[in-house]
Amino acid sequence: MNSTLNQTREHREVSELIPWYVNARIGEGDRQRVDAHLRDCAECRGELQLQRQVHGAMTADPGIEYMPAASLKRLQARLDGLDASSDAARESGAARPAQRSIRWGGSMAASIAVMAAAICILATGLWTRYQGHSRPLDYFTVTSPAAHPPGEVIRAVFAPATTLVELQSMLDEAHLRIISGPTEAGVYSLAANSSLSVSASLGLLRAHGAVRFAEATGPAAAPDHSQ
Amino acid sequence: MPPLVMNPLKEQDSTLLAAVAAGDRRALEQLYLGYHRRLARFLSRFTSRYENVEEIINDTFMVVWQHAKDFRHASQVSTWIIGIAYRTALKSLRQQKNLRFPPDAEALAETSVDPTGETETQDWVMQGLRQLPLEQRFTLELAYHLGHSLEEIAAITDSPVGTVKARMFHAREKLRRSLPELGGGGVP
Repeated sequence: MNSTLNQTREHREVSELIPWYVNARIGEGDRQRVDAHLRDCAECRGELQLQRQVHGAMTADPGIEYMPAASLKRLQARLDGLDASSDAARESGAARPAQRSIRWGGSMAASIAVMAAAICILATGLWTRYQGHSRPLDYFTVTSPAAHPPGEVIRAVFAPATTLVELQSMLDEAHLRIISGPTEAGVYSLAANSSLSVSASLGLLRAHGAVRFAEATGPAAAPDHSQ
Repeated sequence: MPPLVMNPLKEQDSTLLAAVAAGDRRALEQLYLGYHRRLARFLSRFTSRYENVEEIINDTFMVVWQHAKDFRHASQVSTWIIGIAYRTALKSLRQQKNLRFPPDAEALAETSVDPTGETETQDWVMQGLRQLPLEQRFTLELAYHLGHSLEEIAAITDSPVGTVKARMFHAREKLRRSLPELGGGGVP
């Protein structure tokens, strides 16, 4: 009776080890134990044969090679965004969680992080200027006057999870259209699609939670009293 | 194919990870390049979209970057990194629910003529693997595709050894049951 129980237990325990016997990642003691059991157990020999075929099928060379360079570049952009975000948080004295990308990939996450940094820096910069300091800037902001495409009235950044359909819907509602972008920082340049005032378009845009940043640019950035 | 996990450069991994913990971006890039091929091949068995594969790998290395200083050498660096990739992949795949065959495998299933029957067996196995719950499939893939030991899989999945054995047992049972149906008589 005890012998039968022992044999049953040995069979079960050895059977559990077969996958690691097959992939050769089993200790020497266990390997000898499996060898000994296999000599007397036809069922385990059959299982071993099956598992060897499964193993062979799962380790076959897929013939596909993935080039890591582009992926690494996107990781680096995310890390840059993380660094910028951390620096900005330190400067503003307010820690904020790192932005993560889900659907738009690494470059968008970096863009959002840069945006977060830019917003913090902008606030800090304005305060610093108000205080009369003149420390040279070692960063850039998305509202830099460097390059405004003709017709641009608003610059905006959207949440990474925003789909193209949602984006188009928001722009239609705000009577806006994309004229360029997204830039490396994830910024879209938007132009007016109708005679609706810029401040009204801005208000409609900002009403959406998916809009992370929106600001009037160029001449249109001047106070608008039309409303 | 030798087990992919057998990394003769364990010491180099440890050195690189220590540098990453100190904030060395170049070290992270070297680690990334050293693991990309292994992880990409592994993850592409679960999703046919390279953008998903890349996202899981890059999310993994974001975690490596942020938590390298927490590594306590309780396991090998490779086990630690693949453990992060496992958890990241599990979360991502559950969200996306787009478990599919790699396109090349699908194409082969329809177009290849394989006198040795090897490709046919691969197709049966791939279809059988698709039927498995994710944890069971990961257990099998970690053992057979990446070549991990029982103890390593327990560390990677943060599960007791008994749980790994149970997942492997159920995976093998389900796979065995599905193979005859899919293969018209099972694996010979």
